[in-house]
Amino acid sequence: MKVSEKCVGCCQCAVYCPHDAITVFGRASMNENCVECGICIEYCPVSAISEDE
Amino acid sequence: MKAVIIGAGLGGLLTGAKLSKAGYDVEIFERLPFIGGRFTNLEYKGFKLSTGALHMIPHGSRGPLSQLLREVGAKVTIIDSNPMAIIKKEDESNIEFHDFKKGLSITKQVKLGTILAYSLKFKPKSDISFRDWILKFFNDEFLLRLADSYCGWSLSLAAKDVPAHEVLEIIDNMYRYKGPGIPAGGCGAVTESLSDVIKSNGGKINTKTCIDRIIIDDGMAKGVSANGKVIDADIVISDVGHPETSRMYECRDGKYLEFIKNTRPSRGIKICLSSREPLIGHSGVLFTPYAERINGINEVTNADPSLAPPGKHLVMSHQTVLSDDLAHEIALGLGDLKKLFPDKEYEVLLIQSYSGGWPVNRVSSGSDIGYRTPVHNLYIVGDGAKGRGGIEVEGVALGVRNVMKEIGAS
Repeated sequence: MKVSEKCVGCCQCAVYCPHDAITVFGRASMNENCVECGICIEYCPVSAISEDE
Repeated sequence: MKAVIIGAGLGGLLTGAKLSKAGYDVEIFERLPFIGGRFTNLEYKGFKLSTGALHMIPHGSRGPLSQLLREVGAKVTIIDSNPMAIIKKEDESNIEFHDFKKGLSITKQVKLGTILAYSLKFKPKSDISFRDWILKFFNDEFLLRLADSYCGWSLSLAAKDVPAHEVLEIIDNMYRYKGPGIPAGGCGAVTESLSDVIKSNGGKINTKTCIDRIIIDDGMAKGVSANGKVIDADIVISDVGHPETSRMYECRDGKYLEFIKNTRPSRGIKICLSSREPLIGHSGVLFTPYAERINGINEVTNADPSLAPPGKHLVMSHQTVLSDDLAHEIALGLGDLKKLFPDKEYEVLLIQSYSGGWPVNRVSSGSDIGYRTPVHNLYIVGDGAKGRGGIEVEGVALGVRNVMKEIGAS
């Protein structure tokens, strides 16, 4: 997954991620647990997450 | 009468509850998969954390939000904080908020009492900042730090960035409505109960639904297009703020667009802690004027233990963001917590930051432009259009009340 500069660091993606694949410290970043399920995209309030091209 | 509401945050839900109770056919559209916006629970590791707010209602069971909730029949219990607030002083001692003058010399105490009493009655007409206003009368480090702590906690702004008349209005409201309270079950209990009210009044709430555009004809809102479907409406109310709403239709009012450009959202950082032993030990706010960044902290489990797993406390700190280096700001906040609780054991659960499109407040206090738009029957509610002197969700409630009055649904 790709996180754009729109990310504010609110943690909603990390909390709803079923794979414990997101850490947030001012901004979200995905770790190796990510299976590209896309749930984080839905829960991001600022549309900052998108699928890798 | 059909009312379409854009956004199911607290403002949208309060509006929906009011209008559905007044007989309107209400339909709410929310882009996210959940309702409540920045005022609902976020379940994490057995804790009821929140999407935004710190599970606190600034004026508790006597304030404008509580009053509005009672009016619409929302079943929410608000546990008033006791004490209301405590100030941690430089020497680590704690004093009650009402006793904040006691650390000053007798002459300063008398002077401060007189100035405050006069200024609450005759608020400054200029836009002088709260910090400069204090400096006009006192050059006292404790007062200046307390002002930053207070403005930071309640508005997520530094005292130099808020007009004095706005802070005095808030202090006035504090005397009128008294101190904070914690909703039993957290802020999610408030928004869920509003959703129940709306549904029992026949209203409809759609999640995962984007508004493509607001349909305007001859200066009037005729409805919206939601996920490609046209929904007719007699009135449209938006809970997503002026700028985002203005992008949903072709807005040609230059003066209004210029006004919008000058509104600024406020930024903040919340750090959520878990602890076995209480860190604070009461249900009020702990103001921390001598911390480097943290403005205040609460421990909501002292009011409602169910917000954490058995045997644990939930503690949340709030700080204003003073520079653009967010990682640095967070590190300073974490450092403050270490210094404030040196001998205590706690775990950092989550660090949440807020700015831009998901801020603390969509419009900082003092730059609010009200609820009207250039479109006659299109109004703004939520933290993008609060009532005067209303802190956080109390301002949201006052703003909703203003719109209800205007459309004759109060």
